[in-house]
Amino acid sequence: MRLLECEAKEILNKYQIVTPSGSAVASVGKLDVKPPLILKAQVPIGGRGKSGGILEASTNKEAKIKIEQLLSTWVRGYKSHKILMEEKLDIDREFFMAITYDTVAKAPLAIFSGEGGVDIEALAEREPEKVNRELFSLRSRLPEYRAREIISETGLSGRLLLGLGNILSRLANIFADYDATLAEINPLALTRDGQLVALDCHLEIDDDALFRHQELAKLAETENRFQSERSMTEFERKAAEIDQLDHRGVAGRVIEFDGSMGLIIGGGGASLTAFDAVQSHGGKPANYCEIGGNPSVLKVKELTRLLLSKPNVQKIAVIMNVVSNTRVDLVARGIVKGILEAGKNPAKTVAAFRVPGAWEEEGFQILSKYGVEFLDRTVSIDDAARIAVEKANTLS
Amino acid sequence: MGEFIKVEIDFSKCTDVSNVGKWIQVCPVNIFSVENNQPVVVEENEDECTLCMLCIEAFPLGAIRIHKLYGNRKTNR
Repeated sequence: MRLLECEAKEILNKYQIVTPSGSAVASVGKLDVKPPLILKAQVPIGGRGKSGGILEASTNKEAKIKIEQLLSTWVRGYKSHKILMEEKLDIDREFFMAITYDTVAKAPLAIFSGEGGVDIEALAEREPEKVNRELFSLRSRLPEYRAREIISETGLSGRLLLGLGNILSRLANIFADYDATLAEINPLALTRDGQLVALDCHLEIDDDALFRHQELAKLAETENRFQSERSMTEFERKAAEIDQLDHRGVAGRVIEFDGSMGLIIGGGGASLTAFDAVQSHGGKPANYCEIGGNPSVLKVKELTRLLLSKPNVQKIAVIMNVVSNTRVDLVARGIVKGILEAGKNPAKTVAAFRVPGAWEEEGFQILSKYGVEFLDRTVSIDDAARIAVEKANTLS
Repeated sequence: MGEFIKVEIDFSKCTDVSNVGKWIQVCPVNIFSVENNQPVVVEENEDECTLCMLCIEAFPLGAIRIHKLYGNRKTNR
């Protein structure tokens, strides 16, 4: 769950990280912040500045006009229901700081740069010496002295170093306390009068940890936070509910299409590849979806039943890359069980089952019992998609 | 009974039920619960069995039998 900037800044304030004074407004009323103002559309996506989602106003009259303009403007696929109105600060310098997970090292990672307001990945590629990264432990967190060590590597010292170290350490506490997957302040400004102020904040909370943060879970269910150009269909909503049945793996991130072949696909980029391959061979997907991370049999079963509940879906294709973190046999159990519970014959319903990897021998045994052919790793994703489309045209 | 897995408890081996809580808590997918101080199988969860065999280690020797219904193979120790 990505928090809106105004929601994230409330959390920063709780942790004594200073943000520009201001407030979020849902309509043009009395303005309680003195101009000049920065007006920011509250939408859950980056790149607002370049898309017309951030405007400046030098008078109250101008601010009112621009607030109305922002409330009626689509910003990168979202319409804002709130505008964050903040004082415009006199800025001397900007910094970047973030806490996220290094998924290779399996540990939280602190990132700091003496250059803020930039695309940090582009900067890290162009001038890697300007971005310092350091892993730390969630158990001991990021004490201020360690935060200062990270920052001092970029050449900063003195009182500025003390102030920045304090903020980076607090940001790490927010990251840990809120089960975030990303806590980023970009830019963090040093004002001309020597204050460090978080101008923008991106806080992403792990969806699977929302049950531990009821206030945020309620926020996520609030319908009037913002408006999306494309709202979730009833089918997608049901799929999302399936994904919430338990914490194990992912099986329910679905986007509905109007085709006739149900897809149970996974593996990040592999799911996109499989989707495109089915289309390129003339298949018409009924959905896009992602499964992975070893979902429970229950979730795969319910997802299969949901796909087959669409009247025009008679066939499903199950295609993943070679999986090490998802068990083939558990996926096979879920697929077969879902088909049986939908009152259909697995042999006639599965157009292709190409999930090679962990426990594939067990998966093969399960599928064999129900007459479903198992496509192993010698069959490419593209070939599996072709086979699925061909079988869908011939199976009855 | 599950579609793919059947778990059987031999109650004659479960004489000292003072440790029943410890036996059942090893299962990562909640296949066991306790009724009247006796371990029981939660049938709706049987198909979630990951064949980790932790229950076979935790329960008294020979008390648990796991049947894979797709290969007619019993798994026990």
